[in-house]
Amino acid sequence: MVVTVPSDPQYLCVVREVTAKMGQMHGLGEETVEQIRLAVDEACANVIKYAYRGNADKQIVVRYHVDPERFEVVIEDSGIKADPGAVMGRKLEDVRPGGLGIHFIKRCFDVFEFDARKKIGNRLRLVRYLKESNEDRNNGT
Amino acid sequence: MKIAITEHKGVKVFGLSGDVDMYSSPELRKELLSLVGKKAPMLLIDFREVSYIDSSGIATLVEGLRGMMSHGGKLKLLGIPERIVEIFSFSKLDKVFDICGTLDDAFKG
Repeated sequence: MVVTVPSDPQYLCVVREVTAKMGQMHGLGEETVEQIRLAVDEACANVIKYAYRGNADKQIVVRYHVDPERFEVVIEDSGIKADPGAVMGRKLEDVRPGGLGIHFIKRCFDVFEFDARKKIGNRLRLVRYLKESNEDRNNGT
Repeated sequence: MKIAITEHKGVKVFGLSGDVDMYSSPELRKELLSLVGKKAPMLLIDFREVSYIDSSGIATLVEGLRGMMSHGGKLKLLGIPERIVEIFSFSKLDKVFDICGTLDDAFKG
C-alpha cells in the first residue's frame, strides 16, 4: 500500500485516515491504532517542517507493509537530510512548546531508523512488532 | 477544526471541534494568543468535540498556558475525550494543565 501526498499540512488528515484504516484492517486494537495514527502523522509533519522547511509543493511518499509480525511504515521525501543524531525531543519534564512529536513516534514504534543508503532526501523506516500483545504493551507490562 | 468563542459566567470559552493539527493549530494559536493578550483571569478551552490533537496543537496550548501564567491567569481544559487525555498523560501535561470534566467543574476552585 502506497500513499503519496503533497507536503502541505492540509493533506496530513489523508495520511492519518489511511494509517488508521490500515491498522483497523489488520486487527490492531483501538489504542494501538490511535498511537500509530499519531506517530505517522508526526513523522510526516516533521518532513514538512524540517526536510521541506514548509515548502508545500513537494511530495511525501508513505508505504505500508503489514504482516502478522509487524506493522511497518516507510516515509520518503526528497528534502534536506535529517541528522539522525539530532533527532530527539525535549525532556518530557521540561514543559515548553514543541519537542513532543518524536516522543509520540518512538513510544509507538520499535524501530526508528533513517536509511543511510538514500542519497537524496530521507527514507524513515518505522516498525512496530506485533508479536507481543498490544494490550500488554499499552499497559506497560 | 472550528473555533466557536462563547462566554459563560463572564469567562471566554473556546469551543474547539474537529482535528487540531499542524494545519489548523496556527489559527488556534492566533485566536488563543489574541485573547491571552487581553489578560483575562481565566480562559476555558472546550475539548468535547475535538477528534484529534497532535504535538503542534499541544504546543499551542502550552504557549497559551505560559501566556496566561505570565499575568497570573488560568487556562483550563474542559471535557477532553479519553483517547486525547492519554496523550496529555503520556506527555506529563496532565499535571501541568487544569483539566476539568464539565463546565461547572471549571468554576469550582
